[in-house]
Amino acid sequence: MRWFQVRAGVLLPLLLGAGCAWLGDERAIRARLGDLAGTINARASEGLGSVTRAAEISAFFTDDVVVELGEGSAPIQGRETLIGMAMRLQPRLSEFTVAFADVTVRVAEDGQSADVSLTAEFIRKDPGHRQSMDAREFKLTMRRDDGEWKIARMTAVDTLK
Amino acid sequence: MLAAVSAVTFGWILTPVRADGDSMLPTYSSGKLTLVNRLAYVSNRPRRGDIVAIRLAGPRVVYIKRVVGLPGERIAVTDGDVTINGAPLVEPYVRHPGAWNVQEVSLAPDEYFVVGDNRGASDFGRVDADRILGRLVF
Repeated sequence: MRWFQVRAGVLLPLLLGAGCAWLGDERAIRARLGDLAGTINARASEGLGSVTRAAEISAFFTDDVVVELGEGSAPIQGRETLIGMAMRLQPRLSEFTVAFADVTVRVAEDGQSADVSLTAEFIRKDPGHRQSMDAREFKLTMRRDDGEWKIARMTAVDTLK
Repeated sequence: MLAAVSAVTFGWILTPVRADGDSMLPTYSSGKLTLVNRLAYVSNRPRRGDIVAIRLAGPRVVYIKRVVGLPGERIAVTDGDVTINGAPLVEPYVRHPGAWNVQEVSLAPDEYFVVGDNRGASDFGRVDADRILGRLVF
C-alpha cells in the first residue's frame, strides 16, 4: 500500500506536469495566432509600407515558410517572398481584417512542432460601411523557433472541390 | 435546467447560423438568421434541393449551399443549365441564373455537388459527405 502511495506520489505530479506543459504549448499557439490576427488588423489601414510593420508580421513565420494557396497558384517559398508579396498587395489587403475560428491544435510528442487547422475569416468593409465576409480553411504546421511558435507551412484547404 | 436544455438544443441540435453574402439570394439574404438541424442526417442522407450547412475547419463558420448532385450521379453544367445523368434539372428556386459551366463529373459514393442559389455570385463544387453538418430549418 505504501509502495503504491509512493509511486502515485511521484507519478501524479509528473503526469500533471506533462499535461500542463502540453496544454501550455497549445495555449501558447492559440495566443500566437491571436497575436498574428491582432498585428495584421491593428494597422490594417496603415499599410505594410514600413519596415517595422513588415518585421512585425514576418516574426510569425519561419525563414523557410511555405504557403500553398491551392490549385493554380505556385507555392510561396520563404518569408522574404511572402512579406514582399504582402507589401505589393497592400492596397487590397488593407481593406480586410482577419479573424481565426474553429482553431484545433495538435502538438507533436517532442513539443517542437504542431499541426493546426483553422478557418480564416476575411472581413471587408467597403466605403459605404457595408460588411462582407469570406472564409477559407487552412492547415498549418507550426514550429518552435528560438522559443517562439512560428508558421512553417500554411496550406489552403479546398472545402468545395 | 432551462439553460442546460437551451445550451444542448442550440449548441448541438439546432445551431444558429447567420447568412453572410449574396450567394444564396433570394432564398437567404445577407444577415438572415436561421437554424441548422444537426440531426437531420442521422438516419437520412441529404436529398436534392436540401439547403445544407457545410463545415470548414469546424462548425462555427460554415458555407450555406443547396444540394444539386447526389453520390454516384454524373453532373454537368452548361451556361448555367444543370444536367444530372444527362437529364436537365428543373430548379424553380434559381432567380439569379449565371452562365457558369462545369464539365461532366461523376460524384464519388460519399460526395455531393452543391451550389448557392445566386448562380452569378456563388462558389460551387463537390463536397465530402462528412462535411455536411445538417439541413437548414427555414
